[in-house]
Amino acid sequence: MAGRRAAVKAIDWLAFAERVPPNQRAMFNSLKTRSDAISAKLASLPEKPSTINWSHYRAVVAKAGMVDEFEKKFAGLTVPEPVDTQTAKIDAQEQEANKSAAAYLEASKARIAEYEKELEKFRNMIPFDQMTIEDLNNTFPETKLDKQKYPYWPYKPVADL
Amino acid sequence: MLSRLVLVSGHSLKNSGSFGACLVQAPRSFHQSSQSLAPVPPLPEKGGKVRHGIFPEEIFTMLYPKTGVTGPYMLGTGLLLYLLSKEIYVINHETIAGASIGAVIIYAVKKFGPSVAAFADKLNADKIAKAQEVKDQSMASYAQGIENEKKEQWRVEGRSMLFDAKRNNVAMLLEINYRERLHMVTNEVKKRLDYQVELQNLHRRMEQEHMVNWVEQSVVKSITPQQEKESIAKCISDLKVLAESTQARATV
Repeated sequence: MAGRRAAVKAIDWLAFAERVPPNQRAMFNSLKTRSDAISAKLASLPEKPSTINWSHYRAVVAKAGMVDEFEKKFAGLTVPEPVDTQTAKIDAQEQEANKSAAAYLEASKARIAEYEKELEKFRNMIPFDQMTIEDLNNTFPETKLDKQKYPYWPYKPVADL
Repeated sequence: MLSRLVLVSGHSLKNSGSFGACLVQAPRSFHQSSQSLAPVPPLPEKGGKVRHGIFPEEIFTMLYPKTGVTGPYMLGTGLLLYLLSKEIYVINHETIAGASIGAVIIYAVKKFGPSVAAFADKLNADKIAKAQEVKDQSMASYAQGIENEKKEQWRVEGRSMLFDAKRNNVAMLLEINYRERLHMVTNEVKKRLDYQVELQNLHRRMEQEHMVNWVEQSVVKSITPQQEKESIAKCISDLKVLAESTQARATV
């Protein structure tokens, strides 16, 4: 009897909903509706089944011993608990998710480092007022005029002027 | 020298220093000393001060201690007279032409200098503004990118909630199943017992009905025709009495 009482953790659906990214919202909604249906069903079922009034039946039923026999068999009956097949799978899924989350976090941190580097470069830039063309080409390599490809002024296709 | 003329007339030339600095194609190797400053410090805003548009102020300050305020003017006048009288500078047609051209040039610069300077400044300012905008946008987008990444990281942290929800669902389903089984067992047993009870009731009721029917039939059979006639006559006399009594009551 103690084994079946797996603790039902209280889930903060509001906080959960905040963390869901917008592209997975539909999945989250279906999960929530399912969970709500299940918990409603659980709440509607009473915990203990209604007891049988044996004395009444013993008084009413004429056949001798039938009620006693039923009572004995009933008391001796144990209902088997349903076997839990899914929790192991869920745990495995969780391990997988943890791994992929760690990988994603790594990639995310790398991206943040890149962005930080670029931001640093921008912050340490000399103001445009004090730049020479050479400085500009060093900071933004795309502004460098290709004198090999276009040897004559203005060193870029006329359409780009 | 003429550049100073232009600079002074266009005295609304705002970023003249930066204008020069920004588009100076000066190669870095110009700095011979080891103490080259980088970035190149901006050129001064205004050019050297001049008097009457061409004569540098330094001459006046240089001569002031020796000759006072009128010194340079005396020097200039003397020089001019010397050149003219000794015919080192000869007055000819070119002089008139040069004077006219000079007058026109001076007039044009004085009149249109400021607007041209403003136009040039605006060109430059636009370029800088564009570059600045690009820089600002890039910085904003990088900052936004960092924000987004942090938000995504925060989101990932909530993944355990999903699995808790799943496990909860599983546990609840198991519990539901178990309770349903219990209920089913009890209900089945109850149904069986109730069936027995109903069966008994049915038996008793059928026996009762059968007995009643049998008694009724035997009673009806035992009524002889003689008894029937007597009972009918009695009924008729009873009715007559009743009718008389009601008639008496009605008249009263």
